[in-house]
Amino acid sequence: MYPLNHTKEGEQVIVKCIDCHCDDVCRLNELGCVEGATGIIISNQKDVIFKVGETRLAINNNIAKSILVSPN
Amino acid sequence: MEQTPKTIALVGNPNTGKSTVFNALTGLRQKIANYPGITVERKVGTSIIGGVLHQVIDLPGAYSLNYKKLDERIAYQALIGSYEHEEKPDLVLAIVDVTNLDRNLFLVSQLLDLKIPVILVLNMMDVAEQKQITINENLLSDNLGVPVISVSAKQKEDIERLKNFIATEELKAPQPLAWLESFQIRRALGKVKKEWIQPCTNIPEAAHDTEALRLISEGNFDEVFYKYQDKEKGLSVIKQAREILEQAGENPMAAEVLQRYDFIDRCTKDATQQTTDSSLSLTDKIDSVVTHKVFGPIIFASVLLLMFQAIFSWATPFMDFIDLIFVETGNWVANTMAPGILNDLLVEGVLAGLGGVVIFLPQIIFLFFFIYILEGTGYMARAAFVMDGFMTKVGLHGRSVVPLMSGFACAIPGIMATRTIENWRDRIITIMVLPFMACSARLPVYALLIAAFIPSTTVLGIFTYQGITFFALYIFGIVMALVAAAVMKRFFPSGQQTPFIMELPAYKMPKWDVVFRNVADRGWIFVKEAGKIIVAISIVLWFLASFPNVDEQEYAQNAYDGETIESYQLRHSFAGKFGQIIEPTIEPLGFDWKIGIGLITSFAAREVMVGTLNTIYSIEGDDEDIVTLKEKLINDTDPETGKPIYSVATALSLMIFFALAMQCMSTIAIVRRETNSWKWPTAMFVYMSALAYVCSLITFQIGSNL
Repeated sequence: MYPLNHTKEGEQVIVKCIDCHCDDVCRLNELGCVEGATGIIISNQKDVIFKVGETRLAINNNIAKSILVSPN
Repeated sequence: MEQTPKTIALVGNPNTGKSTVFNALTGLRQKIANYPGITVERKVGTSIIGGVLHQVIDLPGAYSLNYKKLDERIAYQALIGSYEHEEKPDLVLAIVDVTNLDRNLFLVSQLLDLKIPVILVLNMMDVAEQKQITINENLLSDNLGVPVISVSAKQKEDIERLKNFIATEELKAPQPLAWLESFQIRRALGKVKKEWIQPCTNIPEAAHDTEALRLISEGNFDEVFYKYQDKEKGLSVIKQAREILEQAGENPMAAEVLQRYDFIDRCTKDATQQTTDSSLSLTDKIDSVVTHKVFGPIIFASVLLLMFQAIFSWATPFMDFIDLIFVETGNWVANTMAPGILNDLLVEGVLAGLGGVVIFLPQIIFLFFFIYILEGTGYMARAAFVMDGFMTKVGLHGRSVVPLMSGFACAIPGIMATRTIENWRDRIITIMVLPFMACSARLPVYALLIAAFIPSTTVLGIFTYQGITFFALYIFGIVMALVAAAVMKRFFPSGQQTPFIMELPAYKMPKWDVVFRNVADRGWIFVKEAGKIIVAISIVLWFLASFPNVDEQEYAQNAYDGETIESYQLRHSFAGKFGQIIEPTIEPLGFDWKIGIGLITSFAAREVMVGTLNTIYSIEGDDEDIVTLKEKLINDTDPETGKPIYSVATALSLMIFFALAMQCMSTIAIVRRETNSWKWPTAMFVYMSALAYVCSLITFQIGSNL
């Protein structure tokens, strides 16, 4: 497992754990970024664009650090 | 549906086409665009369905009923019937983007708990077909327990089909908590409801499940619950409910969400078919460039530069044409009508005032055209993402970018759009600095002064000094907004930072009919609103600047050498005398009393300045020689010294004043409404006006001594 901000563009990953403030976890969950969800990294330039299903999520670096993923 | 008038609410995630459905059902023209959070308040219309007139409410987009932002809270409260003068909806149309069904159904699963009949509207079926997504509506309907219909809201026949569907369906509230399989969550939920919400609060019964689940997930109260007594008991009950889940090995924060997604999986598994394509789409490829940490900000700045250069260059022929029409009409009226007060009032008051503002209609139209294209393509959300890091450093938030960009058109929708900002501190700072963004009302003043005093020399083949000055004024507004935000950040308690999490919509070609319709609407609003106030002010001003009459003997005895009788008359009119009283205050800024009168009237609305100057200069001018306001400003001289009134330093000082001063009553009113206090609009007026005075003073004093 490694943080989302350590991924590469085009990499496909599975969300393993989200460890940030409760409000942010809720927001990510509502947007489809839940534990077990698979996605692809569109862009990673400190801040990350992570595509989960058909949802493109723009996530800043602080939150990206708290989302742990593993390769799919 | 029973043939009696009903209230129908449109609910869904942001950017799923709710407003398109609303417009199609009601025939209204609610604004639509391709970024999240365009609808920030309830919009109400009516629609005839099955021969009965129903009320239709378009609610702000929400990802969840566990609201975090003001716009989401508005949607939730409307659904549970919390608004005093509004009934709880009789029917919810849940609009979902069928190309992103699972994520959209999360909100739908929450709507099912509210004990309101729901119809699921699978929108964007045209896009789904392109992506080879197929849906078994009947199976999905059986699984979810609500009627389901597929539409493409852009198609008229689909909207008719939707109306027939609503008219013929039997309305029945779905079974609440159908998604919930976990016994432990049910236990915890029952405990919070029975021991705290039911006995101790007056929350509407339909919302008990939702509120109980929210309390368990968050583990704490928000402001909704702090007003109730027995808070200690409530906190204790929530703690016990969370312990039930923890002892069962479940995470209270995530248990509900995971259960809902399991339910959604069960519902959609057999009902949908989609070919999995893991390759990057065109949107993804564009995003990897447009959101690049180096190219992204460069692209953003280039887009703005091109936009403002185009506004200035492309609009010029149309402006010249309008100018010509008003000048010729003025000449014609002056020469055709019998001389007298009515002739003067029409030519020098109404036509001069109105012409001075309508001339800028082409630039307003181009400005809105570009803004609607940026909104329609989906670029606005990218701009927010690209600028987030920088915005955070100066005390704002990435989400502040969209309201600030909206401020280029008008501060009022920009201030309303701050409802999408979760954090109160970020929101209030955004509101307080937003009026620095150069709105369309400043455009006439900038355009007039730049055209008159900045050379039109070409630079680098495509740009001109005039275009660059125009761009620089917009940049100046942005820089001042950022500096003000950075200063304000120090005065506000920092609190919890809200990180940037935003959905980026897929790029789309703008809907050209919507773009042109919105542009036409905005153009008409500009002419109508500005016209009303400008005609009224012009008539009053014409009177104040034309009376009392002076006789020729008095003029011959007291006038300066070379001063015309019209100039002498104006100087000794009511307006002239008032202007000369305030002149000492504004003289250090390079302004004479005529500009002073313009500044006073422009506190009603900025664009009134140009109409005011046009009226004053028309009264002062020779009737035989009606020329454009630009020429009048260039040729105006001080009757006492014979020197030109306007220099480049005066023009720059005046533009700086307009860039910074708070001269808009409507903005003050909307800040009062959004902050629910006079404290913020008062502070805004004082600090912006003081800043404008000081910066204009510095500009003129430096400029005139160079």
